[in-house]
Amino acid sequence: MRTTLSPKSLAWAVALPPLVILCLFFVVPLGYLLFISFMSNSATSLYDLQPTLANYTDIFSDSFYWLIIQRTLLSTATVLVLCLLLGYPVAFYAAHLSPRGRLIMLMIMMVPLMVSNVVRAYGWVAILGRSGVLSSTLKGAGLIARPVQYLYSFEAVTLGLLTILLPFMVISLTNSLATIDKRYTEAAHSLGAGPWRTFLRVTLPLSSPGVASGLMLVTFLALSAYVSIALLGGPRYKLLVSMVFDSVSTFRWPRAAALSFVLLLIALIIAVVIQVVIRPQRVQGKG
Amino acid sequence: MGGFILRLIVGIVLALVIGPILVVIIASFSSAEALSFPPPGLSFRWFIEFFRIEEMRNAFVLSIVLAVAAACGSAIIGLLGAVYVSRHRNAFSTLLQVLIMAPLVFPALILGLALLLLYKTVNMGVLPGLFIAHIVVCLPYSFRSILTSLQSFDTTLEEAGQSLGAGPVRSFRLITLPIIWPGVLSGWLFAFVVSFGELNTALFLTGPGVVTLPIEIFSYLQFQGNQLVVAAASSLQVLVILFVLVAAERLVGAKQLVQR
Repeated sequence: MRTTLSPKSLAWAVALPPLVILCLFFVVPLGYLLFISFMSNSATSLYDLQPTLANYTDIFSDSFYWLIIQRTLLSTATVLVLCLLLGYPVAFYAAHLSPRGRLIMLMIMMVPLMVSNVVRAYGWVAILGRSGVLSSTLKGAGLIARPVQYLYSFEAVTLGLLTILLPFMVISLTNSLATIDKRYTEAAHSLGAGPWRTFLRVTLPLSSPGVASGLMLVTFLALSAYVSIALLGGPRYKLLVSMVFDSVSTFRWPRAAALSFVLLLIALIIAVVIQVVIRPQRVQGKG
Repeated sequence: MGGFILRLIVGIVLALVIGPILVVIIASFSSAEALSFPPPGLSFRWFIEFFRIEEMRNAFVLSIVLAVAAACGSAIIGLLGAVYVSRHRNAFSTLLQVLIMAPLVFPALILGLALLLLYKTVNMGVLPGLFIAHIVVCLPYSFRSILTSLQSFDTTLEEAGQSLGAGPVRSFRLITLPIIWPGVLSGWLFAFVVSFGELNTALFLTGPGVVTLPIEIFSYLQFQGNQLVVAAASSLQVLVILFVLVAAERLVGAKQLVQR
């Protein structure tokens, strides 16, 4: 038996399953979450059907939440700056390798990305913890008298997030640097620009789309990396995403929902700042 | 001089990125009772212990089954989406692409929370709920892989098939699919790997008896402390990923895997 379908209905049949799945399980739940964030807390059910702004005003009028927000901004900014400072040289190095060498380098960066973040955070727990690699090595060398706990601090969280997210930055930058036409840098050289001047005036601006997309990806992932933050920051060093989790574990759903949208708002603001500062649209669409 | 500093930074970055994973693998083969460095000897005792603990074993099996199912689901849906997007240039096609790619950057924990609230409201079961969440999270990876291979596919081949009397579905199955197969396969493998390590969405969506390996590792670390059986569990996570990547490299080649 052969059924004949018109091209138009066939196109619909193809587009419909992904559209339905994403509407039902991405758009609708987020809309519902936004709705709940404007409802009152309830002791017995998910929420009380009484519209209120209290979930948001409570967050912004509480000095504790301001501290957490400041802390989140500080650690995200530190991660972004270090990601760029460490990731760019690696990408620059990779982009100037042979195609085969670059492929190997990208594979080395990809493998850690595939490993679950809980495993990678656990690696840092095993290094920085009281009986970890760092403490035992320093003790063995006689530099510290008794085991030291290096976890549960700004440094531990920042280091963990940095190393977990660096490969994203390197891959994004490498792909962007590798597509820059060699003739641009050759032209700069032949016109008398030294290597640094060529880099600052030609290579760096041309790689700005890769810089911007890498930084944005790192921002979004750093802000929501709850498990890494919980393992490395412990109960003492919490970020905004930890507050979302804590509200959920105390069943304050509207509060958790409102905190989620504050987090999204912060992510959006950082993304806009990145776009304004880096201005990737300068070169987008050109080779 | 400049070259030396560049190579030094590359070395530091590689050590920072790979070091923690190596430490976990080394620790998991330790013969000691607790974490200590360097390990006094090597043994498989913590792997044996891992399979003795029922929750760990169940989590491992569930993670594998879930990853296979979610990879199949997201490969099929990703293929459908990619076929539409690669052949239509209109506002709807752009919207569909943005929607499919959105979970890639969207904070996964928030998506998990939103899904949890929806599931609670409609009384969704834990396992189907987790399965759907994994499909949504894996979809960008399978979609992008398949879209890349569809975009480099020469559609005149399909037109030739159709002019010879094959319907659109038949010509797609007999001509297009065999040619873009490496893209579909690498999309499947990406989805498998992402689902197998998925953490932040699953955090809220697992339930009693339905726990994935990453969540089991996390709750062990939080509630039972730093035991070496966690290192063994983590090591197994890495080994499965490495196995899949080596298989992928053999099946579709490294180039297919890193192209974006």
